[in-house]
Amino acid sequence: AVTAKMAALSGGKGWLRGWLPALQLLRRGSKAVTRHWKAMHFQRQKLLAVTEYLPPRPAVPPRCLPAHRDHPQEEDGYVRLLRRQVEQVFRSSRMVAVCQYNSMPDEDVVTMRYYLRKHNIEVKFVLNEIVRPVLAQSKYRNLLPLFVCRNILLVSPETRAREMLRVLKGIPQVNLLGACIDDTILSRQGVENFARLPSLEASQGQTVGALALLPSQTSSLLQRGPSLLTALLDEHIRRLRDTGAPGEPPQEQGT
Amino acid sequence: EKMASKISVVLRPVKSIVVRFCPFEPNVESTRKFLQCIFHKKIQATNRNCEVTADVRHDGSEPLVDVMFADGDRLIMKGANLTTVEMLTALGSRCNAKDLKEEQKSKKSP
Repeated sequence: AVTAKMAALSGGKGWLRGWLPALQLLRRGSKAVTRHWKAMHFQRQKLLAVTEYLPPRPAVPPRCLPAHRDHPQEEDGYVRLLRRQVEQVFRSSRMVAVCQYNSMPDEDVVTMRYYLRKHNIEVKFVLNEIVRPVLAQSKYRNLLPLFVCRNILLVSPETRAREMLRVLKGIPQVNLLGACIDDTILSRQGVENFARLPSLEASQGQTVGALALLPSQTSSLLQRGPSLLTALLDEHIRRLRDTGAPGEPPQEQGT
Repeated sequence: EKMASKISVVLRPVKSIVVRFCPFEPNVESTRKFLQCIFHKKIQATNRNCEVTADVRHDGSEPLVDVMFADGDRLIMKGANLTTVEMLTALGSRCNAKDLKEEQKSKKSP
């Protein structure tokens, strides 16, 4: 009886009595599938309420059981790759400068990259969560407090601090925080001092010059005594020649 | 983090902002975040004449934000124990107040 009634509900009121389809009177005036929201028939509502899904409840509620500790998440392959890249960067470059990056218009970023590339400096955007573990295990532990908020790394196999500072002075949105040049951690002040130093060749030349100054004087030092003596004797000869007898000079010449 | 970028600050009454901090100290995170938010597109668009300078030192001094307003007022915020949101809301409220005062002044004297 229920199924017959359900069938009657779907079409109109007349199926039980065998009415012709043309004479069907639809009491409610709208079909089963409407574009507007149609209220469910009360019997259908009751049916759905009775047959609602109730998930099975466990005998012991899960919050009474000992807490299931989350397994440490497996390291992502991508994260591992990025970490390896960072390690490689630190190993291969002599100069690594850490700067804070505040949002810049894109074309400015491209221009900055271009100007730094001219001096063989590469710009790398890094994520703190990747760099921090790498630094913690390597010898650059003291650079750890620098890596907060967005940062970029300027890496280069040469140490051209002067040009880098000049480029960065024209960009207010990138602030140099510190650098690691030739395994020496420098602050911003240190980088500026480093830039003011003369180049390696010039300082080498100066050192060699300073060291070679004394040896160059050795020969003249050694010769000073005998040369003084010769000068004195010459002076003496001249005086004797001017004043006195011709017999003495040949004797002086012999000594 | 999202809160910090949603706070809009109108920088019209501000002449210059100097942010001083020491990056090797552990208490500079909020100040650095503040500096990052100040450079956001929207905030920079409100006033192109405002000069924002970052002063990076290594003398162990506290992080400091020094704001100079166009009418001569000065706001100094010591960021060692402040959060970014607090600093931004403080600056934002003062800027709005000054803006309102200027509007009222310009309305009174046409």
